[in-house]
Amino acid sequence: MKKIIYLFVLLLSIFSISGCGYNKMQANEEAVKAAWGDVEASYQRRNDLIPNLVEVVKGYAKHEKDTLIAVTEARAKVGNIQISKEMVNDPKAFAQFQEAQSAMSSALSRLMVVVEKYPDLKANQNFKDLQHQLEGTENRINVARSRYNKAVEIFNTSIRIFPNNITNSVLLQLKLKEPFKAETGSEKAPQVKF
Amino acid sequence: MQAKKPLKILYPAFILSFILLLTLSAHALDVPKLQGYVNDYAGMISPSVKTKLEAELKTFEQTDSTQIVILTIPSLEGDVIDSFSIKVADKWKIGQKGKDNGVIIIAAKNNRKMRIEVGRGLESTLTDLATGRIIDRVIGPSFKKGDFDGGFTAGVAALIAAAKGEFKSEKKFSPKKQENLSRFLTFLIFSGIFMLIMGSISRILGSAAGAISLPLLAKLTIAGSSGVFTLIILGLAGVVIGGLLPILFSNSSRHYGSRGPWSSGGFGGVDIGGGGGFDGGGGDFGGGGASGDW
Repeated sequence: MKKIIYLFVLLLSIFSISGCGYNKMQANEEAVKAAWGDVEASYQRRNDLIPNLVEVVKGYAKHEKDTLIAVTEARAKVGNIQISKEMVNDPKAFAQFQEAQSAMSSALSRLMVVVEKYPDLKANQNFKDLQHQLEGTENRINVARSRYNKAVEIFNTSIRIFPNNITNSVLLQLKLKEPFKAETGSEKAPQVKF
Repeated sequence: MQAKKPLKILYPAFILSFILLLTLSAHALDVPKLQGYVNDYAGMISPSVKTKLEAELKTFEQTDSTQIVILTIPSLEGDVIDSFSIKVADKWKIGQKGKDNGVIIIAAKNNRKMRIEVGRGLESTLTDLATGRIIDRVIGPSFKKGDFDGGFTAGVAALIAAAKGEFKSEKKFSPKKQENLSRFLTFLIFSGIFMLIMGSISRILGSAAGAISLPLLAKLTIAGSSGVFTLIILGLAGVVIGGLLPILFSNSSRHYGSRGPWSSGGFGGVDIGGGGGFDGGGGDFGGGGASGDW
Protein backbone atom coordinates (compact mmCIF):
# COMPACT_ATOMS: atom_id res chain seq x y z
CA MET A 1 0.00 0.00 0.00
CA LYS A 2 2.79 2.39 0.90
CA LYS A 3 4.54 1.65 -2.37
CA ILE A 4 1.44 2.55 -4.27
CA ILE A 5 1.12 5.88 -2.50
CA TYR A 6 4.75 6.68 -3.31
CA LEU A 7 4.13 5.84 -6.92
CA PHE A 8 1.06 7.99 -6.90
CA VAL A 9 2.94 10.96 -5.47
CA LEU A 10 5.66 10.51 -8.08
CA LEU A 11 3.12 10.41 -10.86
CA LEU A 12 1.31 13.45 -9.54
CA SER A 13 4.53 15.44 -9.36
CA ILE A 14 5.36 14.52 -12.96
CA PHE A 15 1.95 15.73 -14.02
CA SER A 16 2.20 18.93 -12.04
CA ILE A 17 5.66 19.73 -13.40
CA SER A 18 4.44 19.60 -16.95
CA GLY A 19 1.44 21.65 -15.81
CA CYS A 20 3.78 24.36 -14.53
CA GLY A 21 5.25 24.86 -17.97
CA TYR A 22 8.54 23.12 -17.20
CA ASN A 23 8.61 21.33 -20.53
CA LYS A 24 7.16 24.25 -22.43
CA MET A 25 9.84 26.64 -21.26
CA GLN A 26 12.60 24.22 -22.20
CA ALA A 27 11.05 23.79 -25.62
CA ASN A 28 10.80 27.55 -26.07
CA GLU A 29 14.43 28.01 -25.12
CA GLU A 30 15.47 25.45 -27.69
CA ALA A 31 13.40 27.32 -30.26
CA VAL A 32 15.28 30.52 -29.45
CA LYS A 33 18.60 28.73 -29.85
CA ALA A 34 17.57 27.27 -33.18
CA ALA A 35 16.42 30.66 -34.42
CA TRP A 36 19.71 32.16 -33.30
CA GLY A 37 21.54 29.55 -35.34
CA ASP A 38 19.74 30.83 -38.41
CA VAL A 39 20.71 34.40 -37.66
CA GLU A 40 24.33 33.36 -37.24
CA ALA A 41 24.29 31.39 -40.48
CA SER A 42 22.92 34.25 -42.52
CA TYR A 43 25.43 36.73 -41.12
CA GLN A 44 28.19 34.23 -41.80
CA ARG A 45 27.00 33.93 -45.35
CA ARG A 46 27.22 37.66 -45.82
CA ASN A 47 30.72 37.66 -44.41
CA ASP A 48 31.80 34.97 -46.83
CA LEU A 49 30.47 36.91 -49.79
CA ILE A 50 32.09 40.21 -48.99
CA PRO A 51 35.68 39.42 -50.12
CA ASN A 52 34.29 38.49 -53.55
CA LEU A 53 32.36 41.68 -53.72
CA VAL A 54 35.38 43.73 -52.79
CA GLU A 55 37.48 41.95 -55.43
CA VAL A 56 34.96 42.59 -58.18
CA VAL A 57 34.57 46.23 -57.28
CA LYS A 58 38.31 46.70 -56.96
CA GLY A 59 38.87 45.89 -60.59
CA TYR A 60 36.56 48.66 -61.69
CA ALA A 61 36.79 51.30 -59.04
CA LYS A 62 40.46 52.14 -58.89
CA HIS A 63 40.10 55.43 -57.05
CA GLU A 64 37.86 54.34 -54.21
CA LYS A 65 40.45 52.78 -51.98
CA ASP A 66 39.11 54.30 -48.77
CA THR A 67 35.71 52.73 -49.11
CA LEU A 68 37.10 49.35 -50.01
CA ILE A 69 39.44 49.45 -47.05
CA ALA A 70 36.56 50.45 -44.77
CA VAL A 71 34.53 47.45 -45.92
CA THR A 72 37.43 45.09 -45.42
CA GLU A 73 38.11 46.47 -41.97
CA ALA A 74 34.49 46.21 -40.95
CA ARG A 75 34.48 42.60 -42.02
CA ALA A 76 37.63 41.89 -40.05
CA LYS A 77 36.02 43.41 -36.97
CA VAL A 78 32.97 41.20 -37.35
CA GLY A 79 35.26 38.20 -37.69
CA ASN A 80 36.91 39.01 -34.38
CA ILE A 81 33.77 38.55 -32.35
CA GLN A 82 33.33 35.11 -30.90
CA ILE A 83 29.77 34.09 -31.56
CA SER A 84 28.10 31.40 -29.55
CA LYS A 85 24.66 30.32 -28.50
CA GLU A 86 25.26 31.65 -25.00
CA MET A 87 25.40 35.11 -26.48
CA VAL A 88 21.62 35.38 -26.48
CA ASN A 89 21.79 35.38 -22.68
CA ASP A 90 24.41 38.10 -22.47
CA PRO A 91 23.18 41.63 -23.24
CA LYS A 92 26.69 43.05 -23.50
CA ALA A 93 28.07 40.54 -25.97
CA PHE A 94 24.86 40.78 -27.89
CA ALA A 95 25.10 44.55 -28.21
CA GLN A 96 28.69 44.19 -29.36
CA PHE A 97 27.68 41.72 -32.03
CA GLN A 98 24.89 43.93 -33.24
CA GLU A 99 27.13 46.96 -33.35
CA ALA A 100 29.76 45.20 -35.47
CA GLN A 101 27.13 43.93 -37.85
CA SER A 102 25.54 47.32 -38.29
CA ALA A 103 28.97 48.87 -38.93
CA MET A 104 29.31 46.23 -41.63
CA SER A 105 25.92 47.18 -43.06
CA SER A 106 26.77 50.85 -43.26
CA ALA A 107 30.17 50.15 -44.85
CA LEU A 108 28.35 48.03 -47.41
CA SER A 109 25.85 50.74 -48.21
CA ARG A 110 28.71 53.17 -48.76
CA LEU A 111 30.20 50.68 -51.17
CA MET A 112 26.92 50.62 -53.06
CA VAL A 113 27.15 54.36 -53.56
CA VAL A 114 30.57 53.81 -55.13
CA VAL A 115 29.12 51.17 -57.38
CA GLU A 116 26.53 53.64 -58.62
CA LYS A 117 29.35 55.68 -60.14
CA TYR A 118 30.61 52.87 -62.35
CA PRO A 119 28.11 51.93 -65.07
CA ASP A 120 30.42 49.28 -66.51
CA LEU A 121 30.55 47.53 -63.19
CA LYS A 122 26.79 47.39 -62.90
CA ALA A 123 26.52 45.74 -66.29
CA ASN A 124 29.21 43.18 -65.48
CA GLN A 125 27.84 39.65 -65.24
CA ASN A 126 30.00 38.71 -62.28
CA PHE A 127 28.71 41.68 -60.43
CA LYS A 128 25.10 40.98 -61.34
CA ASP A 129 25.42 37.47 -59.99
CA LEU A 130 27.01 38.71 -56.82
CA GLN A 131 24.22 41.23 -56.46
CA HIS A 132 21.63 38.45 -56.41
CA GLN A 133 23.55 36.54 -53.80
CA LEU A 134 24.07 39.53 -51.58
CA GLU A 135 20.49 40.63 -51.95
CA GLY A 136 19.31 37.17 -51.01
CA THR A 137 21.62 37.19 -48.02
CA GLU A 138 20.35 40.50 -46.74
CA ASN A 139 16.82 39.17 -47.11
CA ARG A 140 17.71 36.03 -45.20
CA ILE A 141 19.23 38.10 -42.43
CA ASN A 142 16.00 40.06 -42.19
CA VAL A 143 13.88 36.93 -42.09
CA ALA A 144 16.15 35.19 -39.60
CA ARG A 145 16.23 38.23 -37.33
CA SER A 146 12.49 38.69 -37.26
CA ARG A 147 11.98 34.98 -36.59
CA TYR A 148 14.55 35.08 -33.82
CA ASN A 149 12.76 38.03 -32.27
CA LYS A 150 9.49 36.16 -32.43
CA ALA A 151 11.04 33.14 -30.73
CA VAL A 152 12.54 35.38 -28.05
CA GLU A 153 9.18 37.01 -27.48
CA ILE A 154 7.51 33.65 -26.99
CA PHE A 155 10.27 32.46 -24.67
CA ASN A 156 10.41 35.64 -22.60
CA THR A 157 6.66 35.62 -22.19
CA SER A 158 6.67 31.98 -21.21
CA ILE A 159 9.14 32.45 -18.38
CA ARG A 160 7.31 35.49 -17.03
CA ILE A 161 3.68 34.36 -16.95
CA PHE A 162 2.27 33.10 -13.70
CA PRO A 163 2.81 29.47 -12.87
CA ASN A 164 5.88 29.36 -15.10
CA ASN A 165 7.77 32.14 -13.31
CA ILE A 166 7.67 30.13 -10.09
CA THR A 167 8.87 26.98 -11.80
CA ASN A 168 11.60 29.00 -13.45
CA SER A 169 12.85 30.68 -10.30
CA VAL A 170 12.84 27.40 -8.36
CA LEU A 171 13.95 24.85 -10.92
CA LEU A 172 15.22 26.20 -14.21
CA GLN A 173 16.57 29.69 -13.63
CA LEU A 174 16.50 30.59 -17.30
CA LYS A 175 17.41 34.15 -18.19
CA LEU A 176 15.49 36.55 -20.40
CA LYS A 177 16.83 36.49 -23.94
CA GLU A 178 17.97 39.52 -25.88
CA PRO A 179 15.93 40.54 -28.94
CA PHE A 180 17.34 42.55 -31.83
CA LYS A 181 16.59 46.22 -31.52
CA ALA A 182 16.27 48.63 -34.40
CA GLU A 183 19.67 49.85 -35.44
CA THR A 184 20.51 53.40 -34.51
CA GLY A 185 19.54 55.80 -37.24
CA SER A 186 17.60 53.28 -39.26
CA GLU A 187 14.63 51.08 -38.67
CA LYS A 188 15.69 48.53 -41.24
CA ALA A 189 18.92 47.07 -42.45
CA PRO A 190 20.04 49.12 -45.46
CA GLN A 191 18.47 47.94 -48.67
CA VAL A 192 21.21 46.69 -50.91
CA LYS A 193 19.99 47.80 -54.31
CA PHE A 194 22.13 48.31 -57.35
CA MET B 1 -16.60 81.22 -27.96
CA GLN B 2 -18.17 78.53 -25.87
CA ALA B 3 -19.28 76.63 -28.90
CA LYS B 4 -15.73 76.49 -30.20
CA LYS B 5 -14.34 74.69 -27.21
CA PRO B 6 -15.57 71.19 -28.05
CA LEU B 7 -14.33 71.73 -31.57
CA LYS B 8 -10.86 72.42 -30.27
CA ILE B 9 -10.85 69.04 -28.63
CA LEU B 10 -12.40 67.41 -31.63
CA TYR B 11 -9.72 68.53 -34.07
CA PRO B 12 -6.80 66.65 -32.56
CA ALA B 13 -9.01 63.64 -32.07
CA PHE B 14 -10.03 63.81 -35.69
CA ILE B 15 -6.46 64.14 -36.89
CA LEU B 16 -5.35 61.37 -34.58
CA SER B 17 -7.95 58.97 -35.86
CA PHE B 18 -7.06 59.95 -39.40
CA ILE B 19 -3.39 59.14 -38.78
CA LEU B 20 -4.44 55.91 -37.15
CA LEU B 21 -6.49 55.00 -40.19
CA LEU B 22 -3.60 55.85 -42.47
CA THR B 23 -1.11 53.72 -40.58
CA LEU B 24 -3.64 50.93 -40.48
CA SER B 25 -4.20 51.04 -44.21
CA ALA B 26 -0.44 51.08 -44.80
CA HIS B 27 -0.26 47.60 -43.32
CA ALA B 28 -3.55 46.44 -44.72
CA LEU B 29 -2.15 44.28 -47.54
CA ASP B 30 -3.40 40.90 -46.48
CA VAL B 31 -2.27 37.59 -47.84
CA PRO B 32 -4.95 36.44 -50.29
CA LYS B 33 -6.50 33.02 -50.13
CA LEU B 34 -4.69 30.07 -51.65
CA GLN B 35 -6.94 28.79 -54.43
CA GLY B 36 -4.75 26.51 -56.49
CA TYR B 37 -1.46 26.42 -58.33
CA VAL B 38 -2.24 29.66 -60.14
CA ASN B 39 -3.69 32.46 -58.02
CA ASP B 40 -4.18 35.23 -60.53
CA TYR B 41 -5.57 38.10 -58.45
CA ALA B 42 -4.26 40.75 -60.84
CA GLY B 43 -5.69 39.16 -63.97
CA MET B 44 -2.35 38.83 -65.72
CA ILE B 45 -2.74 35.34 -67.13
CA SER B 46 -5.14 34.34 -69.86
CA PRO B 47 -7.60 31.48 -69.09
CA SER B 48 -6.09 29.02 -71.55
CA VAL B 49 -2.55 29.53 -70.22
CA LYS B 50 -3.86 29.30 -66.67
CA THR B 51 -5.36 25.86 -67.29
CA LYS B 52 -2.15 24.77 -68.96
CA LEU B 53 0.02 25.96 -66.07
CA GLU B 54 -2.30 24.39 -63.50
CA ALA B 55 -2.01 21.04 -65.27
CA GLU B 56 1.74 21.35 -65.66
CA LEU B 57 2.34 22.22 -62.02
CA LYS B 58 0.02 19.49 -60.84
CA THR B 59 1.91 16.87 -62.82
CA PHE B 60 5.17 18.19 -61.51
CA GLU B 61 4.00 17.88 -57.93
CA GLN B 62 2.84 14.33 -58.57
CA THR B 63 6.12 13.23 -60.09
CA ASP B 64 8.64 15.24 -58.10
CA SER B 65 6.61 16.27 -55.03
CA THR B 66 7.88 19.83 -55.41
CA GLN B 67 5.07 22.33 -55.19
CA ILE B 68 5.27 25.48 -57.31
CA VAL B 69 2.58 28.12 -56.89
CA ILE B 70 1.97 31.40 -58.73
CA LEU B 71 0.46 34.51 -57.18
CA THR B 72 -0.26 37.79 -58.91
CA ILE B 73 -1.53 40.83 -57.07
CA PRO B 74 -2.60 44.18 -58.50
CA SER B 75 -0.48 46.28 -56.14
CA LEU B 76 1.82 45.97 -53.13
CA GLU B 77 0.08 48.95 -51.48
CA GLY B 78 3.28 50.28 -50.00
CA ASP B 79 4.59 46.96 -48.80
CA VAL B 80 8.00 45.66 -49.93
CA ILE B 81 7.87 42.57 -52.12
CA ASP B 82 10.48 40.73 -50.05
CA SER B 83 8.53 41.04 -46.82
CA PHE B 84 5.19 40.46 -48.49
CA SER B 85 6.37 37.25 -50.12
CA ILE B 86 7.70 35.80 -46.86
CA LYS B 87 4.32 36.62 -45.31
CA VAL B 88 2.64 34.68 -48.11
CA ALA B 89 5.09 31.80 -47.66
CA ASP B 90 4.48 31.63 -43.92
CA LYS B 91 0.73 31.60 -44.37
CA TRP B 92 0.40 29.25 -47.32
CA LYS B 93 3.14 26.85 -46.29
CA ILE B 94 3.76 25.62 -49.81
CA GLY B 95 5.75 22.40 -50.09
CA GLN B 96 5.78 19.34 -47.90
CA LYS B 97 6.60 19.36 -44.24
CA GLY B 98 10.13 18.12 -43.64
CA LYS B 99 11.08 18.46 -47.30
CA ASP B 100 10.32 22.19 -47.44
CA ASN B 101 10.17 21.95 -51.20
CA GLY B 102 7.88 24.81 -52.13
CA VAL B 103 8.34 27.66 -54.57
CA ILE B 104 6.18 30.75 -54.85
CA ILE B 105 6.32 33.05 -57.85
CA ILE B 106 4.89 36.46 -56.97
CA ALA B 107 4.25 39.35 -59.32
CA ALA B 108 2.84 42.75 -58.36
CA LYS B 109 1.40 44.16 -61.56
CA ASN B 110 1.30 47.90 -60.92
CA ASN B 111 4.62 48.00 -59.06
CA ARG B 112 6.29 45.96 -61.80
CA LYS B 113 8.02 43.88 -59.15
CA MET B 114 8.38 40.14 -58.89
CA ARG B 115 9.96 37.60 -56.63
CA ILE B 116 10.65 33.91 -56.59
CA GLU B 117 10.49 32.66 -53.01
CA VAL B 118 12.27 29.35 -52.48
CA GLY B 119 11.64 26.88 -49.66
CA ARG B 120 14.54 25.81 -47.47
CA GLY B 121 14.74 22.34 -49.00
CA LEU B 122 15.29 23.70 -52.49
CA GLU B 123 17.82 26.39 -51.63
CA SER B 124 20.73 24.27 -52.79
CA THR B 125 19.38 23.79 -56.32
CA LEU B 126 17.30 26.90 -56.76
CA THR B 127 19.94 29.21 -55.38
CA ASP B 128 19.51 32.96 -55.17
CA LEU B 129 21.73 33.13 -58.21
CA ALA B 130 19.72 30.61 -60.24
CA THR B 131 16.39 32.24 -59.43
CA GLY B 132 17.89 35.67 -60.04
CA ARG B 133 18.99 34.57 -63.49
CA ILE B 134 15.55 33.17 -64.24
CA ILE B 135 14.08 36.54 -63.33
CA ASP B 136 16.68 38.52 -65.28
CA ARG B 137 16.86 36.43 -68.41
CA VAL B 138 13.67 34.40 -68.69
CA ILE B 139 10.74 36.12 -67.05
CA GLY B 140 11.89 39.76 -67.09
CA PRO B 141 12.33 40.21 -70.86
CA SER B 142 8.88 38.75 -71.61
CA PHE B 143 7.24 40.86 -68.93
CA LYS B 144 8.93 43.97 -70.33
CA LYS B 145 7.22 43.32 -73.65
CA GLY B 146 3.91 42.91 -71.85
CA ASP B 147 3.86 39.19 -72.56
CA PHE B 148 2.84 37.88 -69.13
CA ASP B 149 1.61 34.54 -70.44
CA GLY B 150 4.92 33.85 -72.13
CA GLY B 151 6.88 35.02 -69.08
CA PHE B 152 5.07 32.76 -66.65
CA THR B 153 5.18 29.77 -68.99
CA ALA B 154 8.91 30.13 -69.65
CA GLY B 155 9.62 30.89 -65.98
CA VAL B 156 7.76 27.83 -64.75
CA ALA B 157 9.53 25.68 -67.34
CA ALA B 158 12.92 27.01 -66.19
CA LEU B 159 12.09 26.45 -62.52
CA ILE B 160 10.90 22.92 -63.19
CA ALA B 161 14.04 22.16 -65.19
CA ALA B 162 16.23 23.48 -62.38
CA ALA B 163 14.35 21.80 -59.54
CA LYS B 164 13.85 18.47 -61.26
CA GLY B 165 15.30 15.48 -59.51
CA GLU B 166 15.84 17.24 -56.20
CA PHE B 167 13.01 15.35 -54.56
CA LYS B 168 11.21 12.20 -55.54
CA SER B 169 7.55 11.69 -54.94
CA GLU B 170 6.78 8.85 -52.62
CA LYS B 171 3.71 7.19 -51.29
CA LYS B 172 3.01 9.61 -48.57
CA PHE B 173 1.60 8.90 -45.18
CA SER B 174 0.52 11.80 -43.06
CA PRO B 175 3.19 12.39 -40.40
CA LYS B 176 0.63 14.21 -38.28
CA LYS B 177 -1.46 11.10 -37.90
CA GLN B 178 1.57 9.14 -36.78
CA GLU B 179 2.43 11.79 -34.22
CA ASN B 180 -1.11 11.86 -32.92
CA LEU B 181 -1.19 8.11 -32.60
CA SER B 182 2.01 7.87 -30.58
CA ARG B 183 0.88 10.71 -28.34
CA PHE B 184 -2.44 8.99 -27.91
CA LEU B 185 -0.76 5.74 -26.88
CA THR B 186 1.50 7.48 -24.37
CA PHE B 187 -1.42 9.18 -22.74
CA LEU B 188 -3.44 5.99 -22.82
CA ILE B 189 -0.75 4.09 -20.93
CA PHE B 190 -0.35 6.93 -18.45
CA SER B 191 -4.03 7.20 -17.74
CA GLY B 192 -4.28 3.41 -17.49
CA ILE B 193 -1.61 3.37 -14.78
CA PHE B 194 -3.24 6.34 -13.12
CA MET B 195 -6.62 4.62 -12.98
CA LEU B 196 -5.04 1.39 -11.72
CA ILE B 197 -3.27 3.11 -8.86
CA MET B 198 -6.27 5.14 -7.85
CA GLY B 199 -8.54 2.15 -8.18
CA SER B 200 -6.30 -0.01 -6.04
CA ILE B 201 -6.66 2.56 -3.27
CA SER B 202 -10.41 2.64 -3.55
CA ARG B 203 -13.10 1.86 -6.06
CA ILE B 204 -14.55 5.38 -5.96
CA LEU B 205 -11.18 7.02 -6.51
CA GLY B 206 -10.61 4.75 -9.49
CA SER B 207 -13.93 5.70 -11.01
CA ALA B 208 -13.22 9.36 -10.47
CA ALA B 209 -9.81 8.99 -12.08
CA GLY B 210 -11.43 7.31 -15.05
CA ALA B 211 -14.07 10.00 -15.33
CA ILE B 212 -11.39 12.66 -15.44
CA SER B 213 -8.67 11.02 -17.47
CA LEU B 214 -10.66 9.53 -20.30
CA PRO B 215 -12.25 12.77 -21.56
CA LEU B 216 -8.95 14.55 -20.87
CA LEU B 217 -7.20 11.97 -22.96
CA ALA B 218 -9.57 12.56 -25.83
CA LYS B 219 -9.31 16.32 -25.51
CA LEU B 220 -5.51 16.38 -25.39
CA THR B 221 -4.76 14.01 -28.21
CA ILE B 222 -7.57 14.62 -30.66
CA ALA B 223 -8.50 18.16 -29.74
CA GLY B 224 -11.29 19.75 -31.68
CA SER B 225 -12.92 16.65 -33.08
CA SER B 226 -14.63 15.71 -29.83
CA GLY B 227 -17.86 17.45 -28.89
CA VAL B 228 -19.28 17.97 -25.40
CA PHE B 229 -21.58 15.00 -25.79
CA THR B 230 -18.72 12.66 -26.64
CA LEU B 231 -16.79 13.97 -23.66
CA ILE B 232 -19.69 13.20 -21.31
CA ILE B 233 -20.02 9.70 -22.73
CA LEU B 234 -16.28 9.21 -22.39
CA GLY B 235 -16.51 10.44 -18.80
CA LEU B 236 -19.21 7.89 -18.01
CA ALA B 237 -17.19 5.16 -19.70
CA GLY B 238 -14.23 6.32 -17.62
CA VAL B 239 -16.22 5.86 -14.41
CA VAL B 240 -16.96 2.28 -15.29
CA ILE B 241 -13.48 1.47 -16.63
CA GLY B 242 -11.78 3.16 -13.69
CA GLY B 243 -13.93 1.16 -11.29
CA LEU B 244 -13.40 -2.17 -13.06
CA LEU B 245 -9.81 -1.95 -14.25
CA PRO B 246 -8.20 -2.74 -10.88
CA ILE B 247 -10.50 -5.72 -10.48
CA LEU B 248 -9.55 -6.92 -13.94
CA PHE B 249 -5.92 -6.77 -13.05
CA SER B 250 -6.42 -8.49 -9.75
CA ASN B 251 -6.78 -12.27 -9.79
CA SER B 252 -10.54 -12.59 -9.90
CA SER B 253 -11.00 -14.19 -13.28
CA ARG B 254 -14.78 -13.97 -13.39
CA HIS B 255 -14.59 -10.35 -14.54
CA TYR B 256 -12.63 -11.02 -17.68
CA GLY B 257 -15.78 -11.75 -19.53
CA SER B 258 -17.01 -8.21 -19.15
CA ARG B 259 -13.94 -6.67 -20.69
CA GLY B 260 -15.14 -6.65 -24.27
CA PRO B 261 -17.81 -3.97 -24.26
CA TRP B 262 -15.67 -1.41 -22.44
CA SER B 263 -12.38 -1.62 -24.26
CA SER B 264 -13.87 -1.04 -27.68
CA GLY B 265 -15.96 1.86 -26.40
CA GLY B 266 -15.78 5.48 -27.40
CA PHE B 267 -12.71 5.47 -29.61
CA GLY B 268 -14.05 3.91 -32.78
CA GLY B 269 -15.42 7.01 -34.45
CA VAL B 270 -12.40 9.24 -34.06
CA ASP B 271 -11.55 11.07 -37.28
CA ILE B 272 -8.25 12.92 -37.57
CA GLY B 273 -8.23 13.67 -41.31
CA GLY B 274 -8.25 17.20 -42.73
CA GLY B 275 -10.62 18.81 -45.21
CA GLY B 276 -10.43 18.75 -48.98
CA GLY B 277 -9.33 21.44 -51.41
CA PHE B 278 -5.93 22.76 -52.41
CA ASP B 279 -3.48 23.09 -49.58
CA GLY B 280 0.15 23.83 -48.81
CA GLY B 281 1.76 20.90 -47.06
CA GLY B 282 3.56 22.72 -44.24
CA GLY B 283 6.80 23.61 -46.02
CA ASP B 284 9.17 26.06 -44.38
CA PHE B 285 10.77 29.10 -46.00
CA GLY B 286 13.90 30.93 -44.87
CA GLY B 287 13.98 33.91 -47.22
CA GLY B 288 15.77 32.24 -50.11
CA GLY B 289 15.13 33.24 -53.71
CA ALA B 290 15.47 36.45 -55.64
CA SER B 291 13.58 39.60 -56.47
CA GLY B 292 13.52 41.70 -59.59
CA ASP B 293 11.51 44.15 -61.62
CA TRP B 294 10.49 44.65 -65.20
